[in-house]
Amino acid sequence: MEQLADTLTDILSRVARDGAARAGRGLTGLMGQEIVIHIPQVRVGTKADACDAVGGPDALVLGSYLSMSGDITGHVMLLFPEARALACVDLMCGQAPGTTLVADEFARSAVGELGNVVGSAFVNALADHTNLILHPSPPSVLHDMAIALVETVYAEILSQGGDVVIIETVFEDQGGQTAGLLMVAPDPNCLDRLRELAA
Amino acid sequence: MTAPVSDQRRISVGIGQLAISKDARDVLVAYGLGSCVGVSVWDASSHVAGLVHILLPDSEGRHSDGKEPARFADTGIDALIARVAEAGALRMRLLVKLAGGASVLGPANAEKFKIGERNAEAIRDRLKRHGLRPCAEDLGGVKGRTFELHVGVGRTYVRTAASPAIEL
Repeated sequence: MEQLADTLTDILSRVARDGAARAGRGLTGLMGQEIVIHIPQVRVGTKADACDAVGGPDALVLGSYLSMSGDITGHVMLLFPEARALACVDLMCGQAPGTTLVADEFARSAVGELGNVVGSAFVNALADHTNLILHPSPPSVLHDMAIALVETVYAEILSQGGDVVIIETVFEDQGGQTAGLLMVAPDPNCLDRLRELAA
Repeated sequence: MTAPVSDQRRISVGIGQLAISKDARDVLVAYGLGSCVGVSVWDASSHVAGLVHILLPDSEGRHSDGKEPARFADTGIDALIARVAEAGALRMRLLVKLAGGASVLGPANAEKFKIGERNAEAIRDRLKRHGLRPCAEDLGGVKGRTFELHVGVGRTYVRTAASPAIEL
């Protein structure tokens, strides 16, 4: 497992860096101001404290889930603490942060678009680094307790047996504050394919 | 008796974890159950209580990781029943309640992700083998739940991100 994790960590870290750069460019266009995504850590494996990045297990988060299909299958989930997601919506609409106060239909659709931009950036980065054909699904907007969402993705992967490899990328804004959590997880039956490509 | 809120001790029961208590001040809590299912048991005579946070339906013969003794429905339920019995509960007196098993990743993915449903089914089957049946359930739907058991009185509450605690 350690060796597997080492080889995969290497390629997935490169994908994460490239995905972050692409997502940053996409968001800059969307929000009309320069957005840089710092990636302080890429973690491989399940960690009970994954939700700390978005305010703890009980924290209310707003985000989106995309499934990945094509040559390999997997999961992409982007979560923000609710208040930070709403602030992103304001930036996207050219409004002062604090204008949007509830996750109404409009805000949810904007959050879906955010998931689309960031999720597609990572899926496309993975496709380019591995020469695989991958398609992100349309985003499903999520508004729930953080741990309920994270554990459901863990459960889905663990139920298929094999190793669990989840890249958890914690986003920080320029002030060094945590902005969000991105999880990218290939299904276990695709790990051999990825390992071959990584070798 | 219900302990005054200031004396309450909230014990978090994380993914794959199991907690047993007979201390009336304790509140056993499974935070944010998504597709996971929380199973609570309480014996009104001995006031022994237990809660497990089950992640998957079937161990398929695999040994549970020591760190997650209640990861699977089959081995998790067996461990829960054994532990409350050791603590003085009588199996046939146990009040069993279930909460969780939702499809939280959106309606578009509900057909694909059936783990919540499968968890609930596997738990009911396993309980049956022990001669037990849930007396209350709050299962399914699309929202995560926090499930808590007040050890002193055996009361259980469920809340979601959108609604306050409701007694189960």
